Amino acid sequence: MLQIKDLHASVADREILKGINLSIGRGEVHAIMGPNGAGKSTLSGVLAGKSAYSVTSGSVTYNGKDLLEMSPEERSWAGVFLGFQYPTEIPGVTNAAFLKAAVAEHRKSKGLPDLSAAELMRLFREKMAVVEMDKSFLSRGVNVGFSGGEKKRNEIFQMAVLEPQLALLDETDSGLDVDALRIVGNGINSLRTADNSFVVITHYQRLLDYIVPDFIHVLYDGRIIKSAGKELALEIEEKGYDWIIKEAENK
Amino acid sequence: MAVCIKIAAGESLSRVFLQKGAAVERYDIVIEEGGKAEITFVTLPEGEICNDICVKFAGRNASCVLRGLYITRGSGRASYNITMNHDVPDCYSNQLFKGLLYDASRADFYGLVKVPAYCIGTEAYQANHNLLLSEDARVRTLPQLEIYADDVKCSHGATIGRLNEDELFYMQSRGISRETARRLQQMAFAAEILDTLPEDIQAQALEYIPN
Ligand SMILES: Nc1ncnc2c1ncn2[C@@H]1O[C@H](COP(=O)(O)OP(=O)(O)O)[C@@H](O)[C@H]1O
Ligand SMILES: [Mg+2]
Repeated sequence: MLQIKDLHASVADREILKGINLSIGRGEVHAIMGPNGAGKSTLSGVLAGKSAYSVTSGSVTYNGKDLLEMSPEERSWAGVFLGFQYPTEIPGVTNAAFLKAAVAEHRKSKGLPDLSAAELMRLFREKMAVVEMDKSFLSRGVNVGFSGGEKKRNEIFQMAVLEPQLALLDETDSGLDVDALRIVGNGINSLRTADNSFVVITHYQRLLDYIVPDFIHVLYDGRIIKSAGKELALEIEEKGYDWIIKEAENK
Repeated sequence: MAVCIKIAAGESLSRVFLQKGAAVERYDIVIEEGGKAEITFVTLPEGEICNDICVKFAGRNASCVLRGLYITRGSGRASYNITMNHDVPDCYSNQLFKGLLYDASRADFYGLVKVPAYCIGTEAYQANHNLLLSEDARVRTLPQLEIYADDVKCSHGATIGRLNEDELFYMQSRGISRETARRLQQMAFAAEILDTLPEDIQAQALEYIPN
Protein backbone atom coordinates (compact mmCIF):
# COMPACT_ATOMS: atom_id res chain seq x y z
CA MET A 1 0.00 0.00 0.00
CA LEU A 2 2.74 2.46 0.99
CA GLN A 3 6.42 2.37 0.04
CA ILE A 4 8.76 4.97 1.45
CA LYS A 5 12.21 4.94 -0.14
CA ASP A 6 15.22 6.84 1.14
CA LEU A 7 13.09 9.79 2.16
CA HIS A 8 14.92 12.95 3.12
CA ALA A 9 13.06 16.03 4.31
CA SER A 10 13.99 19.31 5.87
CA VAL A 11 12.35 22.19 7.58
CA ALA A 12 13.85 25.67 7.47
CA ASP A 13 16.95 24.24 5.75
CA ARG A 14 17.57 21.77 8.53
CA GLU A 15 17.49 18.12 7.53
CA ILE A 16 15.10 16.23 9.82
CA LEU A 17 14.43 13.01 7.92
CA LYS A 18 17.70 11.45 6.80
CA GLY A 19 16.75 8.50 4.69
CA ILE A 20 13.57 6.71 5.78
CA ASN A 21 12.76 3.32 4.28
CA LEU A 22 9.46 1.74 5.17
CA SER A 23 6.94 -0.53 3.48
CA ILE A 24 3.40 -0.90 4.72
CA GLY A 25 1.15 -3.60 3.40
CA ARG A 26 -2.63 -3.74 3.28
CA GLY A 27 -4.16 -4.54 6.66
CA GLU A 28 -0.93 -4.08 8.57
CA VAL A 29 -0.40 -2.15 11.76
CA HIS A 30 2.97 -0.48 12.23
CA ALA A 31 4.00 1.32 15.38
CA ILE A 32 6.65 4.01 15.28
CA MET A 33 8.39 4.80 18.52
CA GLY A 34 11.35 6.97 19.34
CA PRO A 35 12.54 9.79 21.55
CA ASN A 36 11.19 13.33 21.24
CA GLY A 37 12.65 15.24 18.35
CA ALA A 38 13.45 12.09 16.36
CA GLY A 39 11.28 13.20 13.44
CA LYS A 40 8.10 11.16 13.96
CA SER A 41 5.73 14.08 13.51
CA THR A 42 7.79 15.30 10.59
CA LEU A 43 7.38 11.93 8.89
CA SER A 44 3.61 11.90 9.40
CA GLY A 45 3.40 15.56 8.30
CA VAL A 46 5.37 14.85 5.12
CA LEU A 47 3.07 11.94 4.33
CA ALA A 48 0.00 14.14 4.81
CA GLY A 49 1.48 16.92 2.67
CA LYS A 50 2.28 19.67 5.13
CA SER A 51 3.92 22.42 3.12
CA ALA A 52 6.32 23.55 5.86
CA TYR A 53 8.40 20.43 5.15
CA SER A 54 10.33 20.12 1.95
CA VAL A 55 11.21 16.72 0.62
CA THR A 56 14.77 16.92 -0.67
CA SER A 57 15.07 13.39 -2.03
CA GLY A 58 13.51 9.96 -1.99
CA SER A 59 10.06 8.74 -2.99
CA VAL A 60 6.75 7.74 -1.50
CA THR A 61 4.40 5.50 -3.46
CA TYR A 62 0.84 5.01 -2.29
CA ASN A 63 -1.29 2.45 -4.09
CA GLY A 64 1.03 2.79 -7.06
CA LYS A 65 0.80 6.58 -7.19
CA ASP A 66 3.39 9.20 -6.33
CA LEU A 67 2.05 10.45 -3.02
CA LEU A 68 4.37 13.45 -2.90
CA GLU A 69 2.84 14.83 -6.10
CA MET A 70 -0.61 15.00 -4.52
CA SER A 71 -2.12 17.94 -2.63
CA PRO A 72 -3.13 17.32 1.00
CA GLU A 73 -6.81 17.13 0.02
CA GLU A 74 -6.07 14.68 -2.79
CA ARG A 75 -4.24 12.47 -0.31
CA SER A 76 -7.28 12.59 1.94
CA TRP A 77 -9.60 11.65 -0.94
CA ALA A 78 -7.25 8.78 -1.74
CA GLY A 79 -7.66 7.47 1.80
CA VAL A 80 -4.77 8.92 3.78
CA PHE A 81 -5.66 10.25 7.22
CA LEU A 82 -3.42 12.01 9.72
CA GLY A 83 -4.46 12.08 13.34
CA PHE A 84 -2.62 15.18 14.55
CA GLN A 85 -0.43 15.16 17.64
CA TYR A 86 -1.74 18.67 18.29
CA PRO A 87 -5.11 19.03 16.56
CA THR A 88 -5.67 22.52 15.19
CA GLU A 89 -8.37 24.77 16.58
CA ILE A 90 -10.55 26.52 14.02
CA PRO A 91 -12.57 29.26 15.70
CA GLY A 92 -15.80 30.11 13.95
CA VAL A 93 -16.12 26.84 12.01
CA THR A 94 -18.32 24.31 13.71
CA ASN A 95 -17.45 20.64 13.79
CA ALA A 96 -20.63 19.99 11.81
CA ALA A 97 -19.81 22.49 9.03
CA PHE A 98 -16.25 21.22 8.90
CA LEU A 99 -17.19 17.56 8.55
CA LYS A 100 -20.06 18.33 6.20
CA ALA A 101 -17.59 20.03 3.85
CA ALA A 102 -15.14 17.15 4.22
CA VAL A 103 -17.75 14.48 3.50
CA ALA A 104 -19.13 16.43 0.54
CA GLU A 105 -15.72 16.74 -1.07
CA HIS A 106 -14.82 13.11 -0.44
CA ARG A 107 -18.04 12.06 -2.13
CA LYS A 108 -17.53 14.48 -5.00
CA SER A 109 -14.08 13.03 -5.60
CA LYS A 110 -15.70 9.61 -5.99
CA GLY A 111 -18.50 10.94 -8.19
CA LEU A 112 -21.11 10.32 -5.50
CA PRO A 113 -24.04 12.69 -4.87
CA ASP A 114 -24.23 14.80 -1.71
CA LEU A 115 -25.77 13.25 1.37
CA SER A 116 -29.05 14.75 2.52
CA ALA A 117 -29.05 16.55 5.87
CA ALA A 118 -30.77 13.55 7.45
CA GLU A 119 -28.30 11.06 6.01
CA LEU A 120 -25.40 13.18 7.15
CA MET A 121 -26.83 13.43 10.65
CA ARG A 122 -27.30 9.66 10.74
CA LEU A 123 -23.68 9.18 9.72
CA PHE A 124 -22.46 11.60 12.38
CA ARG A 125 -24.59 9.95 15.08
CA GLU A 126 -23.33 6.51 14.22
CA LYS A 127 -19.70 7.63 14.27
CA MET A 128 -20.02 9.76 17.39
CA ALA A 129 -21.11 6.64 19.20
CA VAL A 130 -17.73 5.09 18.34
CA VAL A 131 -15.94 7.66 20.48
CA GLU A 132 -18.77 8.24 22.96
CA MET A 133 -19.23 11.85 21.93
CA ASP A 134 -22.46 13.64 22.56
CA LYS A 135 -24.32 15.73 20.02
CA SER A 136 -23.19 19.05 21.44
CA PHE A 137 -19.75 18.39 19.90
CA LEU A 138 -21.18 19.08 16.47
CA SER A 139 -22.19 22.64 17.16
CA ARG A 140 -18.91 23.62 18.80
CA GLY A 141 -16.03 25.25 16.94
CA VAL A 142 -13.53 22.69 15.65
CA ASN A 143 -11.39 21.78 18.67
CA VAL A 144 -12.03 25.20 20.23
CA GLY A 145 -12.02 24.93 23.99
CA PHE A 146 -11.74 21.15 23.76
CA SER A 147 -9.74 19.37 26.45
CA GLY A 148 -6.74 17.34 25.28
CA GLY A 149 -8.80 14.16 25.48
CA GLU A 150 -11.71 15.67 23.57
CA LYS A 151 -9.40 16.77 20.78
CA LYS A 152 -8.01 13.27 20.38
CA ARG A 153 -11.49 11.78 20.43
CA ASN A 154 -12.47 14.29 17.77
CA GLU A 155 -9.58 13.04 15.62
CA ILE A 156 -10.87 9.49 15.90
CA PHE A 157 -14.42 10.68 15.21
CA GLN A 158 -13.23 12.34 12.01
CA MET A 159 -11.34 9.21 11.09
CA ALA A 160 -14.47 7.14 11.66
CA VAL A 161 -16.46 9.43 9.37
CA LEU A 162 -13.85 9.45 6.60
CA GLU A 163 -12.97 5.73 6.79
CA PRO A 164 -9.38 6.04 5.56
CA GLN A 165 -7.32 3.25 4.06
CA LEU A 166 -4.15 4.45 5.69
CA ALA A 167 -4.39 6.11 9.10
CA LEU A 168 -1.34 7.84 10.54
CA LEU A 169 -1.99 8.41 14.22
CA ASP A 170 0.52 10.77 15.78
CA GLU A 171 0.56 10.29 19.54
CA THR A 172 -3.19 9.95 19.64
CA ASP A 173 -2.76 8.35 23.06
CA SER A 174 -0.56 11.03 24.64
CA GLY A 175 -2.09 12.94 27.51
CA LEU A 176 -5.16 10.72 27.80
CA ASP A 177 -6.52 9.45 31.08
CA VAL A 178 -7.54 5.82 31.37
CA ASP A 179 -11.12 6.42 30.29
CA ALA A 180 -10.19 8.51 27.26
CA LEU A 181 -7.56 5.95 26.33
CA ARG A 182 -10.16 3.20 26.44
CA ILE A 183 -12.52 5.22 24.23
CA VAL A 184 -9.80 6.11 21.74
CA GLY A 185 -8.33 2.59 21.78
CA ASN A 186 -11.68 0.93 21.21
CA GLY A 187 -12.51 3.53 18.57
CA ILE A 188 -9.38 2.77 16.59
CA ASN A 189 -9.84 -0.94 17.03
CA SER A 190 -13.41 -0.86 15.76
CA LEU A 191 -12.24 0.81 12.55
CA ARG A 192 -9.77 -1.91 11.75
CA THR A 193 -10.55 -4.04 8.73
CA ALA A 194 -8.56 -6.48 6.62
CA ASP A 195 -8.06 -3.70 4.07
CA ASN A 196 -6.93 -0.68 5.99
CA SER A 197 -3.55 -0.03 7.51
CA PHE A 198 -2.39 1.93 10.52
CA VAL A 199 0.80 3.71 11.42
CA VAL A 200 0.63 4.38 15.12
CA ILE A 201 3.16 6.81 16.57
CA THR A 202 3.35 6.31 20.29
CA HIS A 203 5.56 6.31 23.35
CA TYR A 204 3.58 3.70 25.22
CA GLN A 205 2.64 0.08 25.18
CA ARG A 206 -0.81 0.89 26.53
CA LEU A 207 -2.33 1.94 23.16
CA LEU A 208 -0.78 -1.10 21.54
CA ASP A 209 -2.85 -3.27 23.86
CA TYR A 210 -5.86 -2.09 21.90
CA ILE A 211 -4.35 -2.12 18.46
CA VAL A 212 -1.70 -4.79 18.27
CA PRO A 213 1.10 -3.91 15.87
CA ASP A 214 2.61 -6.29 13.36
CA PHE A 215 5.84 -4.31 13.39
CA ILE A 216 7.52 -1.80 15.62
CA HIS A 217 10.05 0.67 14.26
CA VAL A 218 12.31 2.91 16.25
CA LEU A 219 12.95 6.29 14.71
CA TYR A 220 15.99 8.17 15.91
CA ASP A 221 17.66 11.22 14.43
CA GLY A 222 15.72 10.98 11.20
CA ARG A 223 16.34 7.30 10.54
CA ILE A 224 14.69 4.02 11.42
CA ILE A 225 17.35 2.34 13.52
CA LYS A 226 15.49 -0.80 14.49
CA SER A 227 12.47 -2.78 13.35
CA ALA A 228 11.04 -5.74 15.23
CA GLY A 229 7.84 -7.45 16.33
CA LYS A 230 5.40 -6.29 18.94
CA GLU A 231 7.54 -7.49 21.88
CA LEU A 232 9.86 -4.56 21.32
CA ALA A 233 7.33 -2.09 22.77
CA LEU A 234 7.48 -3.77 26.18
CA GLU A 235 11.23 -3.86 26.09
CA ILE A 236 11.35 -0.15 25.26
CA GLU A 237 8.95 0.66 28.03
CA GLU A 238 11.21 -1.20 30.45
CA LYS A 239 14.64 -0.15 29.23
CA GLY A 240 14.14 3.03 27.22
CA TYR A 241 15.82 3.79 23.90
CA ASP A 242 19.45 4.12 24.92
CA TRP A 243 20.38 0.50 24.32
CA ILE A 244 18.86 0.58 20.84
CA ILE A 245 20.70 3.78 20.00
CA LYS A 246 24.00 2.27 21.25
CA GLU A 247 23.37 -0.90 19.29
CA ALA A 248 22.80 1.17 16.13
CA GLU A 249 25.88 3.29 16.70
CA ASN A 250 28.03 0.20 17.11
CA LYS A 251 26.98 -1.08 13.72
CA MET B 1 -24.96 62.48 2.04
CA ALA B 2 -25.68 63.31 5.66
CA VAL B 3 -27.84 61.21 7.88
CA CYS B 4 -29.07 62.48 11.24
CA ILE B 5 -30.36 59.95 13.68
CA LYS B 6 -31.88 60.98 16.96
CA ILE B 7 -32.97 58.39 19.45
CA ALA B 8 -35.40 59.86 21.94
CA ALA B 9 -35.28 59.03 25.64
CA GLY B 10 -36.05 55.39 26.26
CA GLU B 11 -36.41 54.54 22.57
CA SER B 12 -34.51 51.87 20.64
CA LEU B 13 -33.40 51.89 17.08
CA SER B 14 -31.76 49.26 14.97
CA ARG B 15 -30.58 50.05 11.46
CA VAL B 16 -28.40 48.54 8.78
CA PHE B 17 -26.82 50.76 6.14
CA LEU B 18 -25.78 48.95 2.99
CA GLN B 19 -23.19 50.98 1.10
CA LYS B 20 -22.17 50.21 -2.46
CA GLY B 21 -20.38 51.96 -5.26
CA ALA B 22 -18.68 55.18 -4.24
CA ALA B 23 -19.91 57.67 -1.69
CA VAL B 24 -19.07 60.19 1.00
CA GLU B 25 -21.34 59.69 3.98
CA ARG B 26 -21.82 61.49 7.23
CA TYR B 27 -23.80 60.09 10.15
CA ASP B 28 -24.70 62.14 13.19
CA ILE B 29 -26.17 60.03 15.91
CA VAL B 30 -27.58 61.49 19.09
CA ILE B 31 -28.90 59.25 21.84
CA GLU B 32 -30.94 60.60 24.73
CA GLU B 33 -31.34 59.18 28.21
CA GLY B 34 -31.88 55.44 28.24
CA GLY B 35 -31.95 55.30 24.43
CA LYS B 36 -30.44 52.39 22.57
CA ALA B 37 -28.93 52.48 19.11
CA GLU B 38 -27.69 49.47 17.18
CA ILE B 39 -26.30 50.49 13.82
CA THR B 40 -24.51 48.33 11.28
CA PHE B 41 -22.59 49.45 8.23
CA VAL B 42 -22.08 47.02 5.40
CA THR B 43 -19.59 48.58 3.06
CA LEU B 44 -19.01 47.05 -0.37
CA PRO B 45 -17.16 49.68 -2.36
CA GLU B 46 -16.47 49.76 -6.07
CA GLY B 47 -14.72 53.10 -5.82
CA GLU B 48 -14.18 54.82 -2.52
CA ILE B 49 -16.67 54.95 0.32
CA CYS B 50 -15.83 57.41 3.11
CA ASN B 51 -17.71 57.42 6.37
CA ASP B 52 -17.68 60.11 8.97
CA ILE B 53 -19.57 58.84 11.99
CA CYS B 54 -20.18 60.91 15.07
CA VAL B 55 -22.03 59.65 18.13
CA LYS B 56 -23.14 61.83 21.02
CA PHE B 57 -24.84 60.77 24.21
CA ALA B 58 -27.38 63.30 25.43
CA GLY B 59 -28.53 61.54 28.60
CA ARG B 60 -27.45 58.85 31.05
CA ASN B 61 -27.79 55.10 30.59
CA ALA B 62 -27.82 55.39 26.85
CA SER B 63 -26.15 52.76 24.71
CA CYS B 64 -24.72 52.55 21.24
CA VAL B 65 -23.61 49.47 19.38
CA LEU B 66 -21.84 50.10 16.08
CA ARG B 67 -20.93 47.26 13.77
CA GLY B 68 -19.21 47.31 10.46
CA LEU B 69 -18.38 44.80 7.79
CA TYR B 70 -16.34 45.96 4.85
CA ILE B 71 -15.40 43.80 1.94
CA THR B 72 -13.12 45.57 -0.46
CA ARG B 73 -12.01 44.33 -3.86
CA GLY B 74 -10.23 45.59 -6.94
CA SER B 75 -9.11 49.11 -6.24
CA GLY B 76 -12.03 49.68 -3.87
CA ARG B 77 -11.52 51.58 -0.66
CA ALA B 78 -13.45 51.86 2.56
CA SER B 79 -12.77 54.38 5.26
CA TYR B 80 -14.32 55.12 8.62
CA ASN B 81 -13.69 58.06 10.81
CA ILE B 82 -15.60 57.47 14.01
CA THR B 83 -15.90 59.67 17.05
CA MET B 84 -17.68 58.28 20.06
CA ASN B 85 -18.33 61.14 22.48
CA HIS B 86 -19.08 59.92 25.96
CA ASP B 87 -20.07 63.36 27.21
CA VAL B 88 -22.52 61.97 29.76
CA PRO B 89 -21.75 59.52 32.60
CA ASP B 90 -23.05 55.94 32.72
CA CYS B 91 -23.32 55.34 28.99
CA TYR B 92 -22.31 52.25 27.06
CA SER B 93 -20.73 51.94 23.64
CA ASN B 94 -19.44 48.98 21.73
CA GLN B 95 -17.88 49.07 18.29
CA LEU B 96 -16.89 46.08 16.23
CA PHE B 97 -15.63 46.61 12.69
CA LYS B 98 -14.34 43.77 10.54
CA GLY B 99 -12.87 43.87 7.09
CA LEU B 100 -11.95 41.45 4.34
CA LEU B 101 -9.54 42.96 1.86
CA TYR B 102 -8.82 41.53 -1.57
CA ASP B 103 -6.76 42.53 -4.60
CA ALA B 104 -5.27 46.01 -4.36
CA SER B 105 -8.04 47.39 -2.19
CA ARG B 106 -7.57 49.29 1.03
CA ALA B 107 -9.28 50.34 4.19
CA ASP B 108 -8.69 53.02 6.78
CA PHE B 109 -10.13 52.90 10.22
CA TYR B 110 -9.81 55.82 12.61
CA GLY B 111 -11.81 55.44 15.76
CA LEU B 112 -11.72 57.80 18.67
CA VAL B 113 -13.47 57.24 21.98
CA LYS B 114 -13.55 60.34 24.19
CA VAL B 115 -14.37 60.14 27.86
CA PRO B 116 -14.02 63.40 29.83
CA ALA B 117 -13.08 63.33 33.51
CA TYR B 118 -16.60 63.67 34.90
CA CYS B 119 -18.00 60.78 32.88
CA ILE B 120 -17.62 58.01 35.41
CA GLY B 121 -19.51 54.80 34.89
CA THR B 122 -18.66 54.79 31.21
CA GLU B 123 -18.25 51.52 29.37
CA ALA B 124 -16.64 51.81 25.96
CA TYR B 125 -15.26 49.07 23.75
CA GLN B 126 -13.81 49.29 20.31
CA ALA B 127 -12.33 46.62 18.07
CA ASN B 128 -11.20 46.55 14.47
CA HIS B 129 -10.11 43.31 12.84
CA ASN B 130 -8.83 42.90 9.32
CA LEU B 131 -8.15 39.92 7.12
CA LEU B 132 -5.80 40.58 4.25
CA LEU B 133 -6.38 38.24 1.33
CA SER B 134 -3.81 39.50 -1.10
CA GLU B 135 -0.28 40.79 -1.01
CA ASP B 136 -1.38 44.12 -2.41
CA ALA B 137 -4.24 44.90 -0.04
CA ARG B 138 -3.51 47.58 2.54
CA VAL B 139 -5.10 48.57 5.79
CA ARG B 140 -4.47 51.31 8.30
CA THR B 141 -6.13 51.08 11.62
CA LEU B 142 -5.93 53.46 14.51
CA PRO B 143 -8.35 52.89 17.36
CA GLN B 144 -7.79 55.47 20.06
CA LEU B 145 -9.04 56.03 23.56
CA GLU B 146 -8.94 59.46 25.09
CA ILE B 147 -9.95 58.82 28.66
CA TYR B 148 -9.74 61.29 31.47
CA ALA B 149 -12.18 59.63 33.87
CA ASP B 150 -11.47 56.97 36.50
CA ASP B 151 -13.93 54.21 37.21
CA VAL B 152 -14.59 53.39 33.56
CA LYS B 153 -14.45 50.15 31.64
CA CYS B 154 -12.79 50.62 28.31
CA SER B 155 -10.85 48.55 25.85
CA HIS B 156 -9.73 48.80 22.30
CA GLY B 157 -7.88 46.61 19.93
CA ALA B 158 -6.95 46.17 16.33
CA THR B 159 -5.60 43.23 14.39
CA ILE B 160 -4.43 42.72 10.84
CA GLY B 161 -4.06 39.09 9.87
CA ARG B 162 -3.94 36.67 7.03
CA LEU B 163 -5.48 33.25 6.55
CA ASN B 164 -4.04 30.78 8.99
CA GLU B 165 -1.89 28.19 7.23
CA ASP B 166 -2.22 25.61 10.04
CA GLU B 167 -6.00 25.81 9.89
CA LEU B 168 -5.96 25.53 6.10
CA PHE B 169 -3.75 22.45 6.27
CA TYR B 170 -5.92 20.85 8.92
CA MET B 171 -8.98 21.30 6.72
CA GLN B 172 -7.16 20.09 3.60
CA SER B 173 -5.94 17.04 5.47
CA ARG B 174 -9.62 16.12 5.93
CA GLY B 175 -10.29 16.44 2.21
CA ILE B 176 -11.59 19.99 2.19
CA SER B 177 -10.11 21.59 -0.91
CA ARG B 178 -7.87 24.55 -0.33
CA GLU B 179 -10.40 26.86 -1.98
CA THR B 180 -13.24 25.73 0.26
CA ALA B 181 -10.97 25.89 3.28
CA ARG B 182 -10.07 29.47 2.44
CA ARG B 183 -13.72 30.35 2.06
CA LEU B 184 -14.68 28.66 5.34
CA GLN B 185 -12.03 30.68 7.13
CA GLN B 186 -13.27 33.92 5.61
CA MET B 187 -16.83 33.06 6.61
CA ALA B 188 -15.69 32.26 10.11
CA PHE B 189 -13.97 35.61 10.32
CA ALA B 190 -17.02 37.53 9.09
CA ALA B 191 -19.64 35.45 10.92
CA GLU B 192 -19.79 37.66 13.99
CA ILE B 193 -21.20 40.46 11.84
CA LEU B 194 -22.78 38.42 9.03
CA ASP B 195 -24.96 36.55 11.51
CA THR B 196 -26.55 39.78 12.71
CA LEU B 197 -27.60 40.92 9.23
CA PRO B 198 -31.02 40.59 7.63
CA GLU B 199 -31.05 37.83 5.03
CA ASP B 200 -31.11 39.97 1.88
CA ILE B 201 -28.16 42.09 2.97
CA GLN B 202 -26.31 39.03 4.19
CA ALA B 203 -26.73 37.51 0.73
CA GLN B 204 -25.37 40.64 -0.94
CA ALA B 205 -22.36 40.67 1.36
CA LEU B 206 -21.71 36.98 0.70
CA GLU B 207 -21.86 37.60 -3.02
CA TYR B 208 -19.07 40.06 -2.54
CA ILE B 209 -16.73 37.43 -1.14
CA PRO B 210 -14.99 35.91 -4.17
CA ASN B 211 -15.07 32.17 -4.71
N1 LIG C 1 8.28 23.84 11.96
C1 LIG C 1 9.50 23.54 12.44
N2 LIG C 1 10.49 24.47 12.43
C2 LIG C 1 11.72 24.18 12.91
N3 LIG C 1 12.06 22.98 13.41
C3 LIG C 1 11.14 22.03 13.44
C4 LIG C 1 9.79 22.24 12.96
N4 LIG C 1 9.10 21.10 13.12
C5 LIG C 1 9.96 20.22 13.67
N5 LIG C 1 11.18 20.76 13.86
C6 LIG C 1 12.34 20.11 14.44
O1 LIG C 1 12.46 18.86 13.83
C7 LIG C 1 12.87 17.87 14.75
C8 LIG C 1 11.90 16.71 14.73
O2 LIG C 1 10.66 17.15 15.22
P1 LIG C 1 9.38 16.19 15.26
O3 LIG C 1 9.20 15.60 13.92
O4 LIG C 1 8.26 16.99 15.82
O5 LIG C 1 9.85 15.07 16.29
P2 LIG C 1 9.00 14.01 17.11
O6 LIG C 1 7.61 14.02 16.61
O7 LIG C 1 9.70 12.72 16.88
O8 LIG C 1 9.10 14.42 18.54
C9 LIG C 1 12.96 18.56 16.10
O9 LIG C 1 14.30 18.85 16.36
C10 LIG C 1 12.15 19.81 15.91
O10 LIG C 1 12.67 20.83 16.71
MG1 LIG D 1 5.83 14.44 17.53
